[in-house]
Amino acid sequence: MDLTDKEYVEHCRDGHPEDFGLLVERYQKPLFAYLAGRVGDSGQAEEAAQESFVRAFMSLKKLRKPESFYSWLVGIASRVAREQFRSSARRQRDREVAERMMTDATDSNKEYPLEEAIAGLPESHRQVILLRYYERLSCQEIATRLGAPLGTVTKTLSRAYALLRQELAAREGAEPTVNQTQQL
Amino acid sequence: MNCAECRDNLVACAEGLLDRETLLECRAHLETCASCRAEYQAIASLQQRLVARGQAAAEVSLVAPVMQRVLQKQRESEGESFMSKILKHRWGFGLGTATGAAAILLIALLTLPKMQATAEEVMTRGAQVVAKLTSIRFRGELRTWPVDNFGYINADCPFCPIELWKQFEPQLKWRIEKPGRVVVMDGESTVMLLKPEHVAVKHPFRTTSAFDTDWLQQIANVSETISNELDNARAKGWKLSLKQEAGTDGRLESVVTILAKTTVPANDYEKNNWIWTADTRRVYRFDAQSGLLEAMQVYLLRPSGDVKIFDLSQIDYNQPIEPGVWTLELPADVSWVQNQLPTLTNNAVYAAMTPEQAAKAFFEACSRNDWGEAGKFLVESPVPNMLKQKLGGLQIISIGTAFTSAAGKDQIVPYEIKLQYGTNRKWNLALAKDQASGRWFVDGGLP
Repeated sequence: MDLTDKEYVEHCRDGHPEDFGLLVERYQKPLFAYLAGRVGDSGQAEEAAQESFVRAFMSLKKLRKPESFYSWLVGIASRVAREQFRSSARRQRDREVAERMMTDATDSNKEYPLEEAIAGLPESHRQVILLRYYERLSCQEIATRLGAPLGTVTKTLSRAYALLRQELAAREGAEPTVNQTQQL
Repeated sequence: MNCAECRDNLVACAEGLLDRETLLECRAHLETCASCRAEYQAIASLQQRLVARGQAAAEVSLVAPVMQRVLQKQRESEGESFMSKILKHRWGFGLGTATGAAAILLIALLTLPKMQATAEEVMTRGAQVVAKLTSIRFRGELRTWPVDNFGYINADCPFCPIELWKQFEPQLKWRIEKPGRVVVMDGESTVMLLKPEHVAVKHPFRTTSAFDTDWLQQIANVSETISNELDNARAKGWKLSLKQEAGTDGRLESVVTILAKTTVPANDYEKNNWIWTADTRRVYRFDAQSGLLEAMQVYLLRPSGDVKIFDLSQIDYNQPIEPGVWTLELPADVSWVQNQLPTLTNNAVYAAMTPEQAAKAFFEACSRNDWGEAGKFLVESPVPNMLKQKLGGLQIISIGTAFTSAAGKDQIVPYEIKLQYGTNRKWNLALAKDQASGRWFVDGGLP
């Protein structure tokens, strides 16, 4: 069975930095999807995702709640995305253009709150959502992977859907917000 | 079924997990209850959004580049040793003009305390000396079919040449080629061409890895590969051994051997079909003086004896790469693979098929030369001419029962067909389900 985020974070801190690769593997797809939604360009999203992971690694010791790794990571990514826009504005010496880009990207893709909402799920629920949709496993495959009965997987999925719908409904029309209490 | 029972079953219903009886009861309730129907539609709508998000990120592969940067940062923060500075300096010259630096290196080596290097030390040093590559090119041979996937291996195949070019700086670009297929990532997009079929597939964005090339990309990231091997050896108890040998040109080589085991069961259909489902012995050959990885071999472990399946004999580090390498010439009649199947007007008929029914329907369409119908089971559009020539007018002899592999998500349907020129083909058709349309498409296993 896979280790929890907390266990991976603790391994990294205990002198096994290579375990960070397993956290990257776990969250690379949702983080990329989130950033693609924020910046509207897959190349920039990939760069931003890499940068976010590297910053997270370098600040891992500051993470007060290892079990909230992903939520913390999304907070970092949010900041990296904003920095990308600012940097773009500096390069173009035209802040208005950058503002417009940001507005366009935000308008063109309203889906990134989905990853923010996923970040807020309890770990067991988030794990099932990530395996089902970002690793594209069937429910049966998830059950095998987690060593859990199929019924447990569908129940967890059902609860995760309910939590996501609740969170998305609350966010509708709102600007993206992430719990950034532990951000860099 | 009442509302509470229906809602308990909604997710299983949306996932296609209900038995027939419960499904019918659930459907009957949904037809009459607007509230449960709305709940079901809300779940389905959320599922669609999640599927789309997963698809958008399907090809992302950040582990290698992130870990390269992370481990580099860590090394920097731990401070650089005199040795690593010397080695980095050497790489700054480029290999072609490294004679002077090699002399410095030799002095450095001679002044180190005499010690017996272990396999881990040789590997660690091998990772350090290539920590900052600007480019890499390697040529090797793999036992596989020329047209098959880049990760497919077959110990009974003859060796097939395989070549990689990768530029890390100033902009990431890569190309991987074997006789039957080629992938080019030119910094903007990633295109694979299946040469004999004239079929191409494009990701309109840059990638660090795509189209089954991950293991070759990993080898190209030499420093990280070596570090990963070490980490895996420590974590999984893989056996490491070291010996010194004279290379073909008489120079001394440090040869590290690793026995690597996968978790794929021995009786799995995909066992030993892919480089990542195979139990292997990997042999890394480092120049004893510079610590540089110069060659690598992979042997497939079989009860009947080990078979060499991959031989990487030439590695060029930090050499300029011709710009033409990043250009891919496409044939005029190229067919493009659709990233997502269109939803048909009678889509439900196809979405309800079992894998066996889909395989039968596909082959029957081929037998009638009905390429409009056959195309509904293919991601290539239009149907490639080569496929039409090969499969047109076939006769179905048998369609077996679908099964799955622990190593993949496809449903695999055994079949036997007679091709129009009289040849019988008995093989397994791999079918995958398109998430958006819910239809089966052929993912592999055609003659």
